[in-house]
Amino acid sequence: MFFRPKVQLESFEQAAVPHLGDLYRMASLLLQDRHEAEDLIQDTYLEAWKSFHRFELGTNCRAWLFKIMFHRLHHFRRRIVKTSRLITIDGPEGQAEIAAEPLVLQHISDESILNALEKVAVDFREIVLLADVEEFSYKEIAEMLKIPLGTVMSRLSRGRKLLRQELAEVARSYGIDPRGKQAGAAETA
Amino acid sequence: MNTLSFDSKRCERIRQHLDSYLSNELLVETASEVVRHLETCDACSRDLESRMRVREALQRAVANRSVPDSVRARVVRTLRDSQPRSFFRASAARWALGLAGIALILLSLFAAQWLSLRRGEQLVASILKLGVSDHVICAIKDHNYPEVANPPDQIRQKLGVQHAALLQVVQDRLPGFEVLEGHICTIPGSNRKYVHFITRGQGTILSVILTERDGVNLPRGKLLTSTGSTGIGLYQGHLSGMEIAGFESTQYFVFVVSDLSQNQVLQLAAGLAPALNDALRTTTHSKRSSLSESSSAAITNHGASVHLTSTSSIATRSGPSIMAARMFPHG
Repeated sequence: MFFRPKVQLESFEQAAVPHLGDLYRMASLLLQDRHEAEDLIQDTYLEAWKSFHRFELGTNCRAWLFKIMFHRLHHFRRRIVKTSRLITIDGPEGQAEIAAEPLVLQHISDESILNALEKVAVDFREIVLLADVEEFSYKEIAEMLKIPLGTVMSRLSRGRKLLRQELAEVARSYGIDPRGKQAGAAETA
Repeated sequence: MNTLSFDSKRCERIRQHLDSYLSNELLVETASEVVRHLETCDACSRDLESRMRVREALQRAVANRSVPDSVRARVVRTLRDSQPRSFFRASAARWALGLAGIALILLSLFAAQWLSLRRGEQLVASILKLGVSDHVICAIKDHNYPEVANPPDQIRQKLGVQHAALLQVVQDRLPGFEVLEGHICTIPGSNRKYVHFITRGQGTILSVILTERDGVNLPRGKLLTSTGSTGIGLYQGHLSGMEIAGFESTQYFVFVVSDLSQNQVLQLAAGLAPALNDALRTTTHSKRSSLSESSSAAITNHGASVHLTSTSSIATRSGPSIMAARMFPHG
């Protein structure tokens, strides 16, 4: 790190800083603490800068940064597990019932959606975010989290189901029938 | 029923692929199979649509989540601070090494200078000690002067031809002092002789002593008390209760010794030095006029025996410790 030319730092900033927002959102949604998320992002970028000489320019910098962040996040893992709400997955029947009808989400606020997401256990939440929001491939997720590909697939499936369950609850609290009708409208129809 | 059972099983199998289909992780063949099924199955299409809406809603909610400006600023600042700090740390090591080297050199120079200074101080002290010793032993202890000043001619005779002229200089350049005696002193067991003027003034006895340098040079620089307007360097010391100020001429060390204050003695020496230096230059320009050849009326000093070598080292062979001077009444 000593005596690395300034131009190299500029290259690093150009490649890495544009992804800072994505990393921060992920960190804050997993840690649920703004300050801890900021610390994690700073640690991630310093770690990335230290090992930037090993990064090949032109390859997937975003995936590389997420991999570093999840490596750093591993140290927080035990705390996260302790504070996360453990959710048991409902039986297949209940899942099928909810999943069978399209959810009406346009009237639900972003905050409510993220609150629903926070209720999903972090092991599932992180994979849902990586796959559905960040749109990483299963292989990339498996490498980031250092878990088998099959585990990625199963956790993603379960995570999505859990999120749909939570959102169905949110929809009901909004007076919306998860099957696509507002409760009041259904009664008057 | 069988058809329904067949369709239900097919839907169940297709729905198992919906997550991977949604993530675009299916093989082409399997993806084609899912697409064909979705074209004909409203239930599975609604299931997929539901999953897609959840995903879109999640993407929208996350994307709308604000990122504080402070996060980006903090990261960028930390990254940029890490550069000069790293450089500074590395540089600090180099600076420390360089400074240590410089400090070592300065220390060596200082040590050499200090040793030189110490040697110089010792040399000056040793030489000044001669003057104090000669004054105390010959003038104070042995009282080799009359209460009434000897006639100038008698003094000139004792001084010899080569040093007779110095009497007038001493008399003229020590205002307020009367020359009581002038002679050449010898020291038993030593080749050293010295010209000694004993004067009285300001309620005390003051000696003007000239002793041959024998090639010894006094160190200059910081040891000089004053150079005065004439550029003659004056050395000053306080030894055995006496104040002494001295200078060196071409051939002699000249001392003014008394128990007056330091400033008084220094001023008297400064007033005497130029004229006496000039007189010595004209009267003692050759070795013939040295003290070794002008001892016709020498007084033996049984006190201190000091040997000057031709180098800068001086060794005191023997002799009693220098006595403290006493005030002498006019007489």
